[in-house]
Amino acid sequence: MRDEVMSTPVKRRDFVKGVSIAAAIGAGTAAMPTAAVSAKTGTKPHYGMLIDLRRCIGCHACSVSCKAEFDVPLGATRSWVEYVEKGDYPNVSRSFLPRLCNQCSKPQCVDVCPTGATWKRKEDGIVVVDPDICIGCKYCLHACPYDARFINPVTGSADKCDFCLHRVSKGLVPSCVNACIGEARIFGDLNDPSSKISKMIATNPVTVLRQEMGTEPNVYYIAADHTDPHFAKEGQYVRVDTHRRQPERR
Amino acid sequence: MNAELLWGMPVIGYLFLAGVGAGALTVSASVLLRGGGGGFAGQHYSIARYGAFIAPLPLMIGCGLLIFELGSFDAGHWFKWINLYKTINLSPMSIGTWLLTAFIGVSVLYAYTFLPKTPGLGDYRDGLRTLLAWLCVPLGIATAVYTGVLLGAMPARPFWNSPILAMLFLVSSLSTGVAVILLFRALFPGKEEGAEGKPMVGDYFKRRDQSAYILTASDLLLVGFELLVIGLFIMYAHLTVGAVKEAVSVILLGGNLAALFWFGVVAVGLVAPALIELYYVIPRLLGHQPFDVPMGVEIIVPIAILIGGFLLRYVVVIAGQITGPVGI
Repeated sequence: MRDEVMSTPVKRRDFVKGVSIAAAIGAGTAAMPTAAVSAKTGTKPHYGMLIDLRRCIGCHACSVSCKAEFDVPLGATRSWVEYVEKGDYPNVSRSFLPRLCNQCSKPQCVDVCPTGATWKRKEDGIVVVDPDICIGCKYCLHACPYDARFINPVTGSADKCDFCLHRVSKGLVPSCVNACIGEARIFGDLNDPSSKISKMIATNPVTVLRQEMGTEPNVYYIAADHTDPHFAKEGQYVRVDTHRRQPERR
Repeated sequence: MNAELLWGMPVIGYLFLAGVGAGALTVSASVLLRGGGGGFAGQHYSIARYGAFIAPLPLMIGCGLLIFELGSFDAGHWFKWINLYKTINLSPMSIGTWLLTAFIGVSVLYAYTFLPKTPGLGDYRDGLRTLLAWLCVPLGIATAVYTGVLLGAMPARPFWNSPILAMLFLVSSLSTGVAVILLFRALFPGKEEGAEGKPMVGDYFKRRDQSAYILTASDLLLVGFELLVIGLFIMYAHLTVGAVKEAVSVILLGGNLAALFWFGVVAVGLVAPALIELYYVIPRLLGHQPFDVPMGVEIIVPIAILIGGFLLRYVVVIAGQITGPVGI
């Protein structure tokens, strides 16, 4: 598979590693700044994702690529897609809502962790879990309003999406972004006003999930309103489907 | 509802046992201090002794249970929970870990000072006992409150995220703490404390009946407070809109846990024991009649209160997990 390379600043050494993989298979590589700190903005990157639901066809390429990337155990998901069916014939609709960890700016999961096993990286704003420290107390699973975390039965620790840190640190985009056939997922540096994601967010009406939780998510959505099952009228047919072990949203 | 329970029986059992232990310790220490500490604390000493011996055990069992709920334990890393002791941060669970450790240490030491059946004059344990009692009151209250704060810390769990939940758990802890002391008093009456106890000088009541009255009356008061706090908990949740209102509806009429809550927690665990206690307390309180409770009642009432305390934790823990924020 062609690996798409980010147009965001990375360290030269990491960049060269990334390019050696990517360029070798002929991926299009945009010219990238070489400093760890962006020359344009003078700040560290703050990674975010924008999911344009107008372009999502619910194909699960993101779910599958994520499973493959991390060998996520059966029954658990770092990235998943919800199918929302609403309405009564003939006025019906079906919409898709791809989900992942929102890499919140105010992560509740980090606040409640008793061992310090999870934290928000100062380098790039990604919330990570150290499975060697985590004892699997499930406090963070409760604290997350997005149900993004699960206990990995292999390690016995909390696990979740980390924006493919191993790829991102080498200048590659996350696996789900790479796999998305509709280009519905846009990944990049929110601190860089000239990045594609910043431009898209500036020029489109975007929302985040469960804003009232005060977590300030860094995963944005375009046209997500329609996937809210609570907007259905009283008595109207509504069905939310996922391939998760836990089918209902909590 | 088809929600998967992340926290099951071990956590429910732990919350209940920690509450009972914390309540017993708080009651024991405050009764002892109220009676003038060591020395000739008399009847107070005997009540405090029951509480002191009971308190550490449920905490130890409860903390042991928690380990079985850990994901790391399931995966075969049996001692990974040691990581809890490698740091301290503002997570309620981290503070709680250290608090529980301090609680277990202090309560075991406190129980040790009660080894003599009566406080001996000049015993070095007398001073230590009073000193530890001063530590035990805040420690017990903090532990009981902590069990509520642990659940209440998360906006993503609207049922738990109520400022009065910790208060509810505290009052329930104290009432179950009194109940467990009453139960053990009834089951294991000491030799001097038998039904034929010596009358106190200048008092026309039997000593044992007097202490039973103190405990039963305080329990009645605490159960009354608990009913009030439950009322406030439900009222304020129901008066909001959105997630909290939807969450509390699972224990209201038509909700999944309504029967268990109203029958188990409120009727069996609070109202029925309170009415029975009232029946025996009123003649002593208003008519200055001797406080005389049959043995069977002395055993059944505390058991009902303990069942209520357990079911309260059960309903709260389950209700918090089958409800969540509304909207996408």
